Amino acid sequence: MKRVIYFSLSIFVLASCQKNMTSLNINPEAPSVVPSSTLVTQAEFNMASTASSSNVNLNIFRLIQQYWTETTYTDESNYNLATRSIPDNWWNAWYRDVLNNLQQARVFARKDITDAGTLANDTAIIDILQCYAYFNLVTTFGNIPYSQALNPENTFPKYDDAKTVYYDIISRLGKDAAALNPSAGSWGNADILYNGSPAAWAKFAYSLQLKMGALIGDSDPTESKSVMEAAAPHVFASNADNATFSFQSSPPYTNPIWVDLVQSGRTDFVATTTVIGIMTPLNDPRIPNYFTTDANNSYSGGIPGKGNNYPAFSHAGTAIVAPTFPGDLLDYAETRFYLAEGAARGFNMGAATAEQNYDSAITASIEFWGGTASDAATYLAQPTVAYTTATGTWQQKIGTQLYIALYNRGWDSWTEYRQLNYPTLVAPPTALSVFPQRFLYPSKEENVNTANYNAASAAIGGDKVGTKLWFDKN
Amino acid sequence: MRKLLTLFAVAMLFSVLAIAQTKTLSGKITDAKGQPVPFATVRIKGTKAGVSADADGNYSIKVSPSQTLIVTGAGMAPTEVVAPDAPTFNITVAMKDASMTEVVVTALGIRRSKNELPYSVQRIGGDEVSKERSGNFITNMEGKVSGVTINQANTLGGSTNVILRGYKSALGDNQALFVIDGVPIDNTNTTSINQVPGTQGTQSSGLGGYDYGNAAADINPDDIASISVLKGAAASALYGERGFNGVIIITTKKGRKGLGITVNGGVTTGAIDKSTFAKYQHTYGANYGSANGYGSPDGNFLYFDVLGNGTNDLVTPTTEDASWGAKFDPNLMVYQWEAFDKTSSTYHKATPWVAAQHDPTTFWTKPFSYNGSVFIEGGNDKSTFTAGYTRNSDRGILPNSQILKDMVNTSGTLNITDKLTAGASINFTNISGLGRYGTGYASNNEATNFREWWEMNVDIQDLKNAYSRTHQNTTWNWKNVQDETNGLVPIYWNNPYYDRYESYETDGRSRYFGNVYLNYKPTEYLNFLGRVSLDNYSELQQERYAVGSVGVPYYSRFNHTFQEYNYDFLANFDKNISNDFNLKALIGTNLRQDLDNSIYGITNGGLVLPHLFTLSNSINTPNAPYERYTNIQVGGVFAGATLSWRKMLTLDGTVRRDQSSTLPAGHNSYYYPAVSGSFVFSELLKSQNWLSYGKIRANYATVGHSANAYGVYDTYNLNPPFGTNAVASATATKNNIGLVPEKNRSYEFGVEASVLQSRLGFDVTYYHALTYNQIMPVQISDATGYDARWLNAGSIQNQGFEVSVNGTPVKTHNFSWDITVNWTRNRNKVVALYDTATNLQIAAFQGNVTLNATKGQPYGTIRGNDFIYTNGQRTVSNDPNNNPGYYETTSTSNNVIGNANPDWLGSITNTFRYKNWTLNFLIDARKGGQLFSLDMYYGLATGLYPETAGKNDLGNPVRNSIANGGGIIYKGVTPDGKANTQRVDISDLFGAYGYLRNPAKAFVYDAGFVKLREAALSYSLPAKVVGKLGQNVFKGIDVSVIGRNLWIIHKNLPYADPEEIVTSGNAALGYQVGAYPTARTFAFNLKLRF
Repeated sequence: MKRVIYFSLSIFVLASCQKNMTSLNINPEAPSVVPSSTLVTQAEFNMASTASSSNVNLNIFRLIQQYWTETTYTDESNYNLATRSIPDNWWNAWYRDVLNNLQQARVFARKDITDAGTLANDTAIIDILQCYAYFNLVTTFGNIPYSQALNPENTFPKYDDAKTVYYDIISRLGKDAAALNPSAGSWGNADILYNGSPAAWAKFAYSLQLKMGALIGDSDPTESKSVMEAAAPHVFASNADNATFSFQSSPPYTNPIWVDLVQSGRTDFVATTTVIGIMTPLNDPRIPNYFTTDANNSYSGGIPGKGNNYPAFSHAGTAIVAPTFPGDLLDYAETRFYLAEGAARGFNMGAATAEQNYDSAITASIEFWGGTASDAATYLAQPTVAYTTATGTWQQKIGTQLYIALYNRGWDSWTEYRQLNYPTLVAPPTALSVFPQRFLYPSKEENVNTANYNAASAAIGGDKVGTKLWFDKN
Repeated sequence: MRKLLTLFAVAMLFSVLAIAQTKTLSGKITDAKGQPVPFATVRIKGTKAGVSADADGNYSIKVSPSQTLIVTGAGMAPTEVVAPDAPTFNITVAMKDASMTEVVVTALGIRRSKNELPYSVQRIGGDEVSKERSGNFITNMEGKVSGVTINQANTLGGSTNVILRGYKSALGDNQALFVIDGVPIDNTNTTSINQVPGTQGTQSSGLGGYDYGNAAADINPDDIASISVLKGAAASALYGERGFNGVIIITTKKGRKGLGITVNGGVTTGAIDKSTFAKYQHTYGANYGSANGYGSPDGNFLYFDVLGNGTNDLVTPTTEDASWGAKFDPNLMVYQWEAFDKTSSTYHKATPWVAAQHDPTTFWTKPFSYNGSVFIEGGNDKSTFTAGYTRNSDRGILPNSQILKDMVNTSGTLNITDKLTAGASINFTNISGLGRYGTGYASNNEATNFREWWEMNVDIQDLKNAYSRTHQNTTWNWKNVQDETNGLVPIYWNNPYYDRYESYETDGRSRYFGNVYLNYKPTEYLNFLGRVSLDNYSELQQERYAVGSVGVPYYSRFNHTFQEYNYDFLANFDKNISNDFNLKALIGTNLRQDLDNSIYGITNGGLVLPHLFTLSNSINTPNAPYERYTNIQVGGVFAGATLSWRKMLTLDGTVRRDQSSTLPAGHNSYYYPAVSGSFVFSELLKSQNWLSYGKIRANYATVGHSANAYGVYDTYNLNPPFGTNAVASATATKNNIGLVPEKNRSYEFGVEASVLQSRLGFDVTYYHALTYNQIMPVQISDATGYDARWLNAGSIQNQGFEVSVNGTPVKTHNFSWDITVNWTRNRNKVVALYDTATNLQIAAFQGNVTLNATKGQPYGTIRGNDFIYTNGQRTVSNDPNNNPGYYETTSTSNNVIGNANPDWLGSITNTFRYKNWTLNFLIDARKGGQLFSLDMYYGLATGLYPETAGKNDLGNPVRNSIANGGGIIYKGVTPDGKANTQRVDISDLFGAYGYLRNPAKAFVYDAGFVKLREAALSYSLPAKVVGKLGQNVFKGIDVSVIGRNLWIIHKNLPYADPEEIVTSGNAALGYQVGAYPTARTFAFNLKLRF
């Protein structure tokens, strides 16, 4: 009997080794607190990676904009957004991978940044980055969760009116730019884009404001004018101001185009007849940087939406597909195009005329892509390019050149195209829908945030790709 | 034959035991039908000596001839027989009722007569799961128990989904608990995706990976004496939270007096059931349609000068993995993929444009398994002993696939005193896998390639030869045949043989589980048990992707250890407190600790040297490995009492309190009671001769359940540094400090009866279970910044009927025919969801299809885009600017397009016995339930299947141009309600039948089936013959032939087995991608008993 007691007792002793049970539920291998700067670096990488990506599951704007078309699997070139759940992936990339990491950085910065001046700059930079992300979302989808977003306690965020969100972003950018203090510290090298420079971030904020102001030129000329005129004196002044993200030479932080086009070994994309047809007659000096030559040592493209034989056509240029090719989020060249737009609309964009801005924009773009000032001058001297003699309205001239300049910026190209409507992009005859004026809402939103989704869908005029967004009046 | 013995090393042990024996009588206790009577007690009249028979009715006792034996047991009339002067003596006993006297093992290993039980338990004999000699006994349970759904992927050694009474938990694993001799053992389904923390679920949603099987497959089927299935919560409350999903209790064979040796040997082979694999069209070859303009005059071929002789040649578009190309024509000479392989006899030669002689059907190899086992049991008055060894080798239907399993187990008991017994058992299992099949939508899943993306001009045997010749990735899918210097690499698909032989995975799991216990029985009615048990395994999974393959080569290794410790103390009381009343009572404690520890490392950016698979062979510095460590503890105390009156009325109650480490303090302990009762009404109707037995029962129970580890406090991911910058990110799933325990509340009513001298018996159960406060990572709007959040999210109700009927239509001395029918109907419904939620998204699949739990609907609705209907008919566009002639489809993807839940499951087993011959066959059916097939979604688009190359309404080939009488008219109406008459030309562009021109709804299929699951013919050599073969050597010789998955009598899903799943898990419901064919197998087995 004693032995039984001993045996039983020993079990009870073993069984009672459960002091403070809940402490076992603290993961010893994952931190509950991280330095705020680590989240900023991650968010900037995610932002640059999403914007630069050529992954057919995520960023298909180069295809929609007919810079590239697909070789074998032509779904996305024909506007099939559903089979790969592209709207879900785009939405998640911005909300979850960009905005939420910035939001977490915002929270942690309040704890780990002790200097008030630095914290003010840090917070302003985070806010500018968040504005950039929201600008993308609101211009992609229409109404989006905004005032109730980024709060996991509220699992059913309502959608806010797109225009209201848009104007709020413009206003936030102004406040952020004003809050930046060049003499105080900030993120330093955790900020891959500008090494923490408050002055550079102020220029970025104003340039983004300018871009946003330009985009509402048709829908709200008054607001467009006031936003653009206020921002214009403070925007990017040279290519040195460009918001370019330096990717690294080895995984996982390489340029995503290298991952998709080189590392994968795949040959999914070729140039299109559309872009080659625009650039070749203009003798565009950027074409060797944009594209490789084809088998005949010239430039050619496949027909958008059709299957295309990879070896027969030009492909993405060798510079773009390098692992360290920088990700461009906002640049000087486009800024000058927006100034040109403003001037063409009769806004006060400073001393430069529409033509001068147009010339500067093209020159900046050519130089950005490795050309020289004289290349640019030669190019501009052509009557087909020169502002005064090029074909069409200012929308057509600027639209065409902006389209060329935004070659590696598919989403931006698509966004500008929706207002300017130039150059004309013809939907492939095999397209599954009309040209996408917006993205469908993610199917997950339909399934899990149903009531708010339904309200948003009704508010924007139906969750269809053909529904034009509020800023798109033509 | 004695030589046979010496073959086994263990035999040495036995000769030692054998010496101790003198006059031992052994034999089998059977009922009048010849069925074994398990666990009867055999006593020698007038002495204290007695033994228990085993689950098969075998007994062995030391007795002097002419002494009288008394055989007693549940449900039988006590039988007295005189011991003969012979070594063997079979005893036939008279049963009060054959079907109701089963002794079943219930919670915590307590044996009870089935007629006393107030809840539903079904028993399966060990023979029934071991006779098929397959590596995983769980699949052999299929169709043998009502209320159980078992699904196994067709992958070799893949995991098994075991669901009792429906999906109770929306996102929990829902898997039944496996308990061996009172010891719960881990049954984790391991897949590649579990290697990296935080990514669970994506593999079961159809993304790539490997399925490493479930841990319960480590149980040696030969060691199983019997299986009890406790389906409801009342039956399992004493197991605490892990009994939540039902319990499968396995009792292993116990030693007994005397010596018994069983040797089994068997081989299994077979071939795929062709109805479960693609049937192809053999009329058209490679490409996506001539409208793409591949260069040749007709647009179907590449067109360039291959030989440099100034003439352009027709060349197969090797990058085009579809079969919407040129019609086969033996007079057309084309440079095909082999024309660019220098080692090929047709290098730089054009060959006739004909359909491949060997389509991918010939890729599948014949599966082959062998299985050998020896099982030894023995004992004397003081002790018992068992030892077993089983070796199992399975080769699958894919080349270079094999799973080897070695299982050793031993157990013993020792009566230290009359009152004190000690026992221990230990099982050791070693499984090593090679070349498991890739799952889901992945390049290493050949079935994805063959079912969705293939060129019908490619001969699979040519690929085999090419690989054998070159040992290189010589593929049909060349990247660029115009550039023989750089372009001869695969573009989307590897040579499948290169994949199988060069990019193989290997894995190994070593496991031991067992227990030691001490049992003290101070009086007849009191019993104390102390037990420590452990379950420990370590596994290594190595995945390889060879240099030369499409994409980035890699090597990864995953080292994982798991340990579970259970410390139990039980006190049992069992006494007749008066002539009429019996009281059983129990109190106990249990502490469970689970330790899970793993590390996963993978190369970065490719491999430097080919054929070398090690982390140091990485091109870039590998990132820090993923580590995981969890320590979960649950402490429980419980008590129970059973009061019975005159064996007619039984009242049973239990209560348990658990405290779990995974819930927030303050909400981490929870109580749950259960109460049940039964009434044997036949006791009151003894005058009714037609009624042999009848019982009604009812019970009510609640069970609590805690959370997964680390679902409460928020943490962050540390990522590889960016240069010198540290990088971190928020997790995709948000934790929740406010979690409370999940609960399940259920009740059950049942009637069992047998009539006509037990020739007909039935058992009907109605159950109703509500699981509420479900803890799960709920998919939430990503606008919150997170994919998911841990929440107490909802209530799911399951209710249904289970019916088991057994009958004996014919019974004569030499011949009998038994029928057993099991039928299950489960209806589930999502009753409530958290907050204002109306829908939970369980999984998202490729094709923009989701699996959902919608409030008011069954768990498992399939959503996606649908046709647009006009007057109930599919609408075809007549808008000249919007794809006229093609279907209009919804732009929304939240339309309910299917329901994955079956209406009912049923099975019928017929068993015929004639003298020593036994023939049985099992027909198994599932009615209803639907699935979305990605294989059809893509495969119909790429033109692989015959329906894409048939005749149209005019009798002409559909792929002819309209000018040549081809084209099709989609069935439906135009928006104005008129029948569609517009003929569309599908001659030159793919997609007409597949995903491009049809919504997801078009690829939802009925998953019902009727199958001849199993047929077995066994022959036991008559005792006379056995005796002649060797007096005193053999006790029995059985020979059997078993066929499995013999015939799918009916199904509606084309080209695949509707039962095939991606891998186990809830998301596996209702979705098929890269489905492997089902193998039809035949096993031959020889069983020798010594």
